[in-house]
Amino acid sequence: MIQAPPPTKVAASIVRLFGPHARVDTLHVDSAAVLRISAGDSLLGFAQVGSVIGKDQPITFLVAIDPANRLKDVDILVYREPYGGEVAYEAWRKQFRGKAAADPLQVGRDIRSISGATISVHAVTAGVRRMLAELTAWHESGAIR
Amino acid sequence: MSRALARRALVALLASVATLRPGRAAAQERTTLGGYGEVHYANRTGPDTPGIVDLKRFVVYLAHAFNDQIAFRSELEVEDAKLEGAQPGGEVALEQAYLDYRLSDALTVRTGLVLPPVGIINETHEPPTFNGVDRPGFDHDVIPTTWREIGVGAVGRVPGAEGLSYRVYLVNGLRAAGFSAAEGIREGRQEGREASFANPSFTGRLEWARPGLKLGGSFWYGGTADADPALGTGAFAAPITLLSADARYDVGAFLFRAVAASIWVSDAEAINTRYASAVGSRIAGGYLEAAYNLLHALAPASSQKLNAFVRHERYDTQAAVPAGTARDETLARRITTFGLSYKPTYNTAFKGDYQLLRNEAGTGATDVLSLGIGYQF
Repeated sequence: MIQAPPPTKVAASIVRLFGPHARVDTLHVDSAAVLRISAGDSLLGFAQVGSVIGKDQPITFLVAIDPANRLKDVDILVYREPYGGEVAYEAWRKQFRGKAAADPLQVGRDIRSISGATISVHAVTAGVRRMLAELTAWHESGAIR
Repeated sequence: MSRALARRALVALLASVATLRPGRAAAQERTTLGGYGEVHYANRTGPDTPGIVDLKRFVVYLAHAFNDQIAFRSELEVEDAKLEGAQPGGEVALEQAYLDYRLSDALTVRTGLVLPPVGIINETHEPPTFNGVDRPGFDHDVIPTTWREIGVGAVGRVPGAEGLSYRVYLVNGLRAAGFSAAEGIREGRQEGREASFANPSFTGRLEWARPGLKLGGSFWYGGTADADPALGTGAFAAPITLLSADARYDVGAFLFRAVAASIWVSDAEAINTRYASAVGSRIAGGYLEAAYNLLHALAPASSQKLNAFVRHERYDTQAAVPAGTARDETLARRITTFGLSYKPTYNTAFKGDYQLLRNEAGTGATDVLSLGIGYQF
């Protein structure tokens, strides 16, 4: 289930990751919407908004990949939980940069946890793993290009 | 790029994003059910001490989000499986029940029955989050977990300082009438039951987090007289001051924890005279814990954990005594716990441990073997 994030937050995230000149198109694959980001004739990458449930609330985040299917970054767009907001810290999110679908993306292996934020950490990590795998598969199959 | 072009690009972007979820702009109300619990077996050394099994805690977590900003959260707990009239043990209690009003990442206003943000265990008390079948003795006798009081406060991230977050609350005070030599301030808690607000108290915490590391510092300050003329009728009469610091550090297969706290009971002499008790004027101590995940080496690809741990606690509920109170050396406790926690998932745990309960007086040495399960969802 995806809870709609404020569009300005998504826009700010795209601008942060791909620069202010990026052109954004929406592609539809299965029932999902994927953002295609380009500049002129060159593809810069893809991004997708997703949600996972933490302890009791959806955590809405954005996953962006580059044309080589490497994870560019994860942005936490809306966090609504009482404890565990540490997943929005850059120090935690930056662990995902450069990851590929073949990487484990497992808490305790290649992703370090944060005490007191365990539920959020596991939920977001699983969500990112799933979305990275999906985006990679769609890109490799030509469903998004 | 010209400003006009930039604006057009942003408009196009907003339009494309808006199509992500047509017709879903409004936040939905949602209700969540969760819970945690633990079942224990404990066997103490010595004659006439058969093993005991206890359904220690069964907690139902109920939350409801009214929109993206306002949410109600609660925990309803049954201790020791049941309670029956006139029999000791057993408790049905609300552990938390509050309304959160989220204004920004930096500020959520929290009102209701809240957990004073002191130490590690009080706020993060779900059994799979700590090693050992039972909570550390320190988190019973020094920091009286699960400590909850009614009040209002603010929680959030400190803007401009990534990693730093805070919680501050104004809550009802403790009651000196409940203080004791062996359990310090524990029975002074009011726990939301027709609590006296004669001594509004302040509590708060500053926390700094990075992957693998969390450091925290907490305080509590407030009167405890409950308008008893013998102790004073002011809002801050017979005050206590609590300061604590804690650290959690995970690196590779190792997990470390350390907590220390000190509580100053300024008017312990007057309290002891008034209630014929033997409360320490200072209550202090802490623990160090180290754990090693054996599966890190045995099965590196596994997300399961098998933590071997050792914890050493030293605390004294009479670290200092007021004039007229004799110090009891058996209250200077030295507890060492060895054990294993098997966690097939991060939110379930099978635990076993062996505890050496000792004290400074060197009397009454007891060992305890414990087994238990714990879960949260």
